[in-house]
Amino acid sequence: MKCNYCERRCELGDGNYGVCRMYREEGGAVRERFPRRWSTYAVSRIESLPFYHAYPGSRSMTIGTAGCNLECRYCANAFVAREDPAAVQDAMYDFTPAQLVRMAAKLGCHNIVFTVNEPTVSLPSLLELGAESRKAGMPLGCLTNAYATEEATDLLAEVFSFVNVSLKGLSRAFCRQYLGIPNAGPVLRNIKRLAATTHVEVTTPVIQSVNDGDIDPIAEFLADVGQGIPWHVFRLLPEYRMKYAAYPHIAAIDAALEKHRRTLPYIYFHNFVGSEWVNTLCPHCGATVIERFSLGCGGDRLDRYHCRGDACPECGYRIAIHGQRVAWNAKEGTE
Amino acid sequence: MSLAIIDAREWQTVLDLRTGRKRADDSPAVRLAKRVLARHPFPGDTDARGNRWVTDTALDLVGEYDPQFVFLIYAQQFYLFRFSCPPAAERAAMIDAAFAEAERFANETGFCTVVVGTGDMIPTAGYIDLSGLDGLAVTSHWLTRYCGLYGLSGKDGDELRRLTASGLVARVAGKDELLSLFADVPAAAERLPDFLAVAREGYCFRSTLLRRPLMVPAGNEVIPVSAPLAGIKSITEISGQVRKLLADRKVALILLEGVGVKDFRLPHEPCANGRGWYSYEPGEAQYLTISTGSHQIFSYPPGYRSYREDGENKEYPFSGYFTSLPSGTLGQGFAGRSIAVGNRSMFMHTVPGADIAVECFARNLYNQGCMAVIHRQDK
Ligand code: SF4
Repeated sequence: MKCNYCERRCELGDGNYGVCRMYREEGGAVRERFPRRWSTYAVSRIESLPFYHAYPGSRSMTIGTAGCNLECRYCANAFVAREDPAAVQDAMYDFTPAQLVRMAAKLGCHNIVFTVNEPTVSLPSLLELGAESRKAGMPLGCLTNAYATEEATDLLAEVFSFVNVSLKGLSRAFCRQYLGIPNAGPVLRNIKRLAATTHVEVTTPVIQSVNDGDIDPIAEFLADVGQGIPWHVFRLLPEYRMKYAAYPHIAAIDAALEKHRRTLPYIYFHNFVGSEWVNTLCPHCGATVIERFSLGCGGDRLDRYHCRGDACPECGYRIAIHGQRVAWNAKEGTE
Repeated sequence: MSLAIIDAREWQTVLDLRTGRKRADDSPAVRLAKRVLARHPFPGDTDARGNRWVTDTALDLVGEYDPQFVFLIYAQQFYLFRFSCPPAAERAAMIDAAFAEAERFANETGFCTVVVGTGDMIPTAGYIDLSGLDGLAVTSHWLTRYCGLYGLSGKDGDELRRLTASGLVARVAGKDELLSLFADVPAAAERLPDFLAVAREGYCFRSTLLRRPLMVPAGNEVIPVSAPLAGIKSITEISGQVRKLLADRKVALILLEGVGVKDFRLPHEPCANGRGWYSYEPGEAQYLTISTGSHQIFSYPPGYRSYREDGENKEYPFSGYFTSLPSGTLGQGFAGRSIAVGNRSMFMHTVPGADIAVECFARNLYNQGCMAVIHRQDK
């Protein structure tokens, strides 16, 4: 039978576990091979994941499973996402959804964010976690490549109230060569679908001379989805099969982004230490309303939050913020 | 004010180290640091050229700044051992290469060297997972022999007794026990866990780092020191020795990570690497003890909840979990010029207290570039 979780639509059964190797066929249904098995439960600053416009300043517990449905040549988590999931199971943690939510509370976290690999490959476990975290009033977010089917995208929207979609490139050649998929059509469709019901931020890792030509069309697409959408343009750190590629040129990428800052006021250029393009400016009056530090992969951090609630302190314009600002230690000791 | 100069490859910026805010500064020292950084892009923690980068950068900085005291850390083999556990012959070759780099520095500069191995590494015998406790178990990514325990239940006590009886856990020490072991050391008790669990040699507590260590530091009750003057019996006596030598010559204090008495290639003395049942793993407490000459277990104790201090407005945002600059360090107390270079990230600008430090800016093996820190430019 066909798996309907992502647009790979793999044929399962007879020892075939799909491209992600995370699902199997059993009695005419698609089942997870490794339900409730988690690769980590780490404390992170929400800005470092990155979410710049959701619960600013909050402490997140990041989680993941194993496996992925894409084959990105520059994967930063290849040792978990690109390995055969069966081979890494001895390194996994066993947590029921209730235990995971409790762990987040013990760590003083305000929310849980699925970050390590692709949530679509573990959707049934995440649906359970979603139900449990809703009961506990703990928001759930994720990073996703959004190559899910429409049905699975609706499930993602049901589980997660804030999502960062990795929109890696648009050209067919790039998708084929660097991601192992025929085109980005489903990703664009799902960004629109998610943005209709969920807080969406978008991340694009830029690889010099490979997908930097997609900056203009991606900016136009996002402006069409919604001008309040935060767009994180990453200077890609070459990893995995691209370990020896050149580091992208910061000034050139910044120059390419400049003309889009009027139509997309929340453009951020980071993933390198010391970036100067991580602050939020008020789209109306230009005042700096949120200041951050960029530590590259060391994780970004909130420096100063000047908004009153979600309003610009200078002109009162409403900045697109999902949820409230949360003080770092607000949940410490509440478990 | 301490300045941080970041080089993310083909792009540099200058910041105030304490506030993290951008600074416009074009002083001769900043220009010097920028030149050196631009000439030496960091190849990566586990890259075969990692240790060569340390020597090349240090030689360049010696040429530019003419220091009397140099602090170096060579750590490439430590990262490779930790995450890939190469076969014994390869490990031996990597250790030889690390010593060769230290020797190259000494030969090209004529500095008198004090070489310290921070401890042997051994293949990981097993992992101890305390994530199922009712209480909270905290192990840092790099110091996995120790685990801080908080809010334990009666059931947790039973589980820890079971692990101790099975031999996987060597000891569970209460806060008071740790405090009395280092009774003469000023302690910031609020960072101490309720209990500290110590794994049996070769075992490690699981941290939340996705990559599991394949090799871990051995027990390392003693570590090797090779120095011109004999008689160093404890890790706390190294800095005194260096200070004595600095009175009449140029000195390089060189730390070789992941190398202990078993693999040390130079004539050496074994010196105590801790006290009683507690021995240091390579990390800030061990380095600071070497640099300051007094035990530094309590500043950022093993198993402490560093994340609680990691929020908004934290000072020294580019210095990892350090919330201030350590005092009493070798460089800080030395009137002459000093530099530090190493592939051990923020430890280079925090531990030696040198006038100028150059370090890799890599976190969890992701290579972001390099950083130089200028603490002093008045010498
Ligand atoms: S989720 Fe996995 S098994 Fe299902 S279609 Fe996608 S890649 Fe194939």
